Amino acid sequence: MSENPESKKIDFNNLQEIILHGFQNAAKGFSGMIGEVMQVIDPSVKAISLKDIPMFLGSPENDAVGIYLRVEGDISGQIMLILPYDKAMEIVDLMFEQPFGTTTQLGQIERSALAEVGNLTGAFFLNAIAEMTGVSARPTPPAVMVDMVGAILDVIIATMGQVDRSAFNDKVLMFQSNFSIGNRETKANFWIIPDPGTLEKLSAAGN
Amino acid sequence: MANSIAIGLAEVKVSRSPDDVLVAFGLGSCLGIGMYDPILHMGGLLHAVLPINNDHKSEQSKYVDSGITMLLDLMIQAGAQKNRLIIKMAGGANMLNVSSLSSTFDIGNRNIDSAKLTFTKMGIKPKSEEVGGKIGRTVRLYVANGRYTIRMMGEQEREI
Repeated sequence: MSENPESKKIDFNNLQEIILHGFQNAAKGFSGMIGEVMQVIDPSVKAISLKDIPMFLGSPENDAVGIYLRVEGDISGQIMLILPYDKAMEIVDLMFEQPFGTTTQLGQIERSALAEVGNLTGAFFLNAIAEMTGVSARPTPPAVMVDMVGAILDVIIATMGQVDRSAFNDKVLMFQSNFSIGNRETKANFWIIPDPGTLEKLSAAGN
Repeated sequence: MANSIAIGLAEVKVSRSPDDVLVAFGLGSCLGIGMYDPILHMGGLLHAVLPINNDHKSEQSKYVDSGITMLLDLMIQAGAQKNRLIIKMAGGANMLNVSSLSSTFDIGNRNIDSAKLTFTKMGIKPKSEEVGGKIGRTVRLYVANGRYTIRMMGEQEREI
């Protein structure tokens, strides 16, 4: 992304509204899946340097779960849902309707459940955007990564670095939101990283 | 007292201070390439992100090929001798475990290939390496003695 956040081509208020609607719908999809109400907290648009991404979630060595999808179609980009390791296990407990603490490791079944979370939130997010703008896009099957935060985020960094070489030192636009589940606030980070050109298309379609 | 120095994305650093430990945290597809001159007790670590530098102008240390050249130059400028260098590397994982994604974005393997080609061109060879796979690694180079270690999630630090 080399777009200047102040670029005249893009109506940012409009864009923010579209993305927020997407986040809220993603939360709705997630709520339906786990049978608990999930709310969107502090959705924000951030312009950050790719280099600073690994520091965004504390130490890049922290254990985490990343659920990653590519978006393809009229618009394209990356979706990454990042959960601290222990929170990911709580979400599995919620999905399997078992008490917190039951899940103690993330094997095949647990990872597959988390992949479904990615499928669903990604699809709900894109559906909401399609409804508002008529722009259609679909998510790829999700990849679930259980690893250090830095290693997980390398996927975004390497992909962005390839898509747009100038982006590395420049700011990239990132839409970020946390979610809360029931009365528990969880630090699920839902990030949307649009490919170059995508924001112009979305903004134009939303007007 | 150990002085931990984080080598971030696309960074490179050379040190002769025995207290320094050069660390690249949580390498996924990125490569952590270490060089060490055992006579001078001088170490350098590169955290390279992408395989090949096509335009030669942008940040040298961002790319595996130009980054290795840059690290070698920095070591030699600081007095190290090429024929004494102990080279080790780790990283280059393929983090995406879904076939539809990994075939297009296997930057890890391309980073490894680029490193091997660069080493061959330079006539140098890594003494040890632990690359590829599907798991992230933290890499440390201890300047005092040249110890090069990796650590993976849920595991102990170990020397390679």
